[in-house]
Amino acid sequence: MNSENKDGNGDVKQLLSALIEKSGALTAMLITKEGISITEAGDTSYLNTTAMAALVAAMFSATREVARMVGEKHFSILLQQGENRHIHISLVHDSKMMVIVFEDYQRIGMVRLEARRTGEALNRALARHETPKNAGEIATPEFKEYALNLIDRIFETK
Amino acid sequence: MPHINYQDKEIAFKIVYYGPGMSGKTTNLMYIHNVLDNDRKGDIVVLDTEEERTLFFDFFPLELGRIEGYTVRFNMYTVPGQVFYEASRRLILEGADGIVFVADSEKDRLQDNLESFGMLRNSLSDFGVEYKGFPLVLQYNKRDLPDLLPIGTLEGQLGLNGIPTFEAVATEGRGVMETIRMASRQVIQKFQL
Repeated sequence: MNSENKDGNGDVKQLLSALIEKSGALTAMLITKEGISITEAGDTSYLNTTAMAALVAAMFSATREVARMVGEKHFSILLQQGENRHIHISLVHDSKMMVIVFEDYQRIGMVRLEARRTGEALNRALARHETPKNAGEIATPEFKEYALNLIDRIFETK
Repeated sequence: MPHINYQDKEIAFKIVYYGPGMSGKTTNLMYIHNVLDNDRKGDIVVLDTEEERTLFFDFFPLELGRIEGYTVRFNMYTVPGQVFYEASRRLILEGADGIVFVADSEKDRLQDNLESFGMLRNSLSDFGVEYKGFPLVLQYNKRDLPDLLPIGTLEGQLGLNGIPTFEAVATEGRGVMETIRMASRQVIQKFQL
């Protein structure tokens, strides 16, 4: 399977799905440094992925500051070991993070290997899609007017 | 600049509540979270200390709805107010599309408000953002207390004359929804690609 031939986030999702399959991990997510989840693969039924993305981004940012304090630009990998579940976080494409949740700690070697391979593939995939073709659909006067109406409705004084 | 996922058609804006310690940022966020319909909001995440001071941030996602086929979301954050959490504040502030500055209206907190705004201005400047023209709303909170700063004091001292300003008592919800409505409107109005 050549998962890098398709456009957009589709191939990013495929790359994460392939990682899940090869490493035996439970969940994989790609998130932005602002804490937004871009793509998820594997089992996410047990996880609040929105909150997870916000928390991991904050954790990674804090670690970046710690790295600077000891004279490093950043730490490119974070590993959190629990009793039953563990998290591997790696920096991708400078501004994104790949989060892998896995259960069998003995597979850490495989997780690391697949994280590195997938990270390289993600770097290539993300570099190709930085300029979207359909950007004109949003930020139009109609879009804004509808959004403003929604805001007025949602935040009406109760 | 919001995060836009063109493939899944999602747009996420970031709104940050900023201000000095104990000015009522978390109280604002909690009130909004409480009154919103369940189908619009995600769980609230609160990271605080044993003394209930915000340690890292509070956060919840709010779904505005679908517009032109895109799901539009506001991710709402607070920053910790205490001076010694400056590093945390900068991290949360990065990538913000709009800011609510929650000032403590008590007269003896004037310097704290000015100092906090100074840090906000410096952080935005470090991110390459000019705060004048940036979506920014000022809330004078705790208007139920005695010995208050007159409205206009902070705008005058900070050179912010003309920015939207609201009086609030966040513990009772007064002024909270008006503030977030204006901040959200500004974010959308100034949104451009």
